[in-house]
Order: sequence, then structure tokens, then C-alpha cells
Amino acid sequence: MSCSEWEERIALHAGGDLSPVDAEAVERHVAECATCQELLSGLRQSEELLRGAHAEPVDSAHYAAVRARVMSELAGERRPWWRQAWVYGLVAAAVLLAVSLRPRQPQTVAVMKPAPVTPVLPAPPAAHEAVRQAAAPVHRRPRRKPAVKTVETVTAPAEPLVVKLITDDPDVVIYWITGSETKGE
Amino acid sequence: MAAFESLMRQYERMVLVTALRLLGNMEDAKDASQEVFLRLYRNLRKVEASSNLSGWLYRVTVNVCHDMGRKKTASVPMEEVLEPATPGADAQESLAGAERQRVLHMSLRMLSEKERAALVLRDLEGLSTLEVAQALGSTEATVRSQISHARVKVKDFMERYFRRRV
Repeated sequence: MSCSEWEERIALHAGGDLSPVDAEAVERHVAECATCQELLSGLRQSEELLRGAHAEPVDSAHYAAVRARVMSELAGERRPWWRQAWVYGLVAAAVLLAVSLRPRQPQTVAVMKPAPVTPVLPAPPAAHEAVRQAAAPVHRRPRRKPAVKTVETVTAPAEPLVVKLITDDPDVVIYWITGSETKGE
Repeated sequence: MAAFESLMRQYERMVLVTALRLLGNMEDAKDASQEVFLRLYRNLRKVEASSNLSGWLYRVTVNVCHDMGRKKTASVPMEEVLEPATPGADAQESLAGAERQRVLHMSLRMLSEKERAALVLRDLEGLSTLEVAQALGSTEATVRSQISHARVKVKDFMERYFRRRV
């Protein structure tokens, strides 16, 4: 085994990371090899220097600063729910949504109950348009025109109802006319 | 909250010093420590159930430092935040001591992220290779390889520097 192949084992041995059997093997080789002896010595020395350099204590003010920052952060997280800003935002959004979705009551009434005066006289075209616009639904749903239909029904001329009664005698037919004053045979 | 603060006091040295050794400057180390303890608070039940708090803290500290190390490249020399040298020492000797300290700290910066973490946890924090492997989420064989390479690199760096100075 060449010295370069011993390097990893020697480095582990310098930090006490080998099993007793492996450590003994390294010690045997080092006792016979000046290069590896120098390597082991250098590794032990540098490790000692490194440990010494990092052994100096850290100022306690740094610990206190970290502690204060963490506790401050946690205090913010543990604030009651009603004191959190997002709660107010949520409430405001809910109110806005409720207002925007509220049904418009007066327009619905105009559609369901047409004014009683319209049947008497045919409404002018402008009035029809006004009624239609007033009755226009919020959600563009196709609708009938109740005002116009009512006018047509009422203004049509009233026709009398004629009832034809056929008797056993084919020469006798009785006509009964209702809806007017006349009744005849 | 008082109980958590008490827990922090118990582990703050371990977390802050490890972060300082990994990152090389105190401001980043303090940021990392803060993040580690916030994560601890949010995962307290899970961590307590695992019953290996120090192992968990080492693992999270290394992860947080790796994340921060990837974001930041510039660093302030570590000795600037360490306590000053003992008063009364000779000025020239003190200067030479400070220079040596700087070199020793710098030697860790020469290592790869994983080698540095393995060396810091094993040689400076005193964890076993198995504990280091658990903290780093690696195998013991890999950690032993990383540690041995790191030790040789640090030795070579120091020898080169001090030989040149002499």
C-alpha cells in the first residue's frame, strides 16, 4: 500500500476515528514511514490550532439579541385573532360582497304588478319603453312584456257568447246569446 | 412561552456557534439561529416526540446555513465578532495572534459545504461520526470520507500559509 493510500486512514486516526485494529495498523505504518509520520504530525497540529481558534467564547449579547428577535416574532404570531390585520380585511370583503349581491326589490315589484291604469288606454310607445326599462332584470334574463300584453287583452272588442241548442226536431234550433242583453231563438 | 425561552437558553450556544462556524460571520449566524428557533417552535410537538432535540437542531442549523450560504457569498471575518484579546498583551503579539486566528477561520472557508459541515460537527462540536451522519442525512462512510479530506485540506492550507509567512 502506497503512502497516498494511507492518507485517509491517517487523517481519520488523527481525530481518533479508527477502530483499535485499524489504529494499530496505522501506527505500525507510521513508525516505519517518515512521510506518513510527518503527515500525522501535521494533521494533529492543525486540528489543535483549529480547535483553539474556535474555542473563544461568543459575546453573550449576541445570544440575547437572537432570543429577543425570536420572542418578538413569536409574540406577533400569537396575537389574538381579532387583532390580526387579515381579519379586518376579510370582514370588509364580506360586506362588499353582500352589498353587491343584494337583490333590487323595487324593480321586481314593477314587473309583477303592472299599474292598474294602463288597461284603460293604450300606453304611448315612450311609456312602454319606460315600463320595459323599469322592469328590466339585473341579470339579463329574457322576459315577457307584461304591460303591453295587458293592454291588448282589455282593449279587444267584447264578443257575445252564442250557445246553439239542437232539438229532436231537425227544423228547430235554439240560439242562446250571452254577453249582451239579447237572447233569441 | 416562558418554557420555550428556557429551551432556547439551553440550546442557543450550540445553534449560534455552529451557525457562526458554518457561515463565518455573526450577522448571518444570528439570522440563521433565529430561523432555527422559529422552526423549532413551529415543530415543537414533532421534535419532542422524536426525543432527539439536539440532533434535530444540528440538522436544521446545517440546512438553514446551507440555504443562506447559497444566497450570500460575501462574509465578514469571524474574529471581528469574537471577544477581544486579553488586555495587557503585547501589541505586536496581539496582531500576530489576530492574523493567525483569521487564517485558521479562513481555512474552513476553503472546504466544500459538506466537508465543512462534517468537520465542524465532528472536530469542533464533538459529535460522533454516526451523529454527524444523522445530522447531515448521510451515511457514516460518506461522512468519514468527508472528514478525512477536510482534515488534510485544512492542514495543507495552514502549512502553505505559515510556511510562506516564515
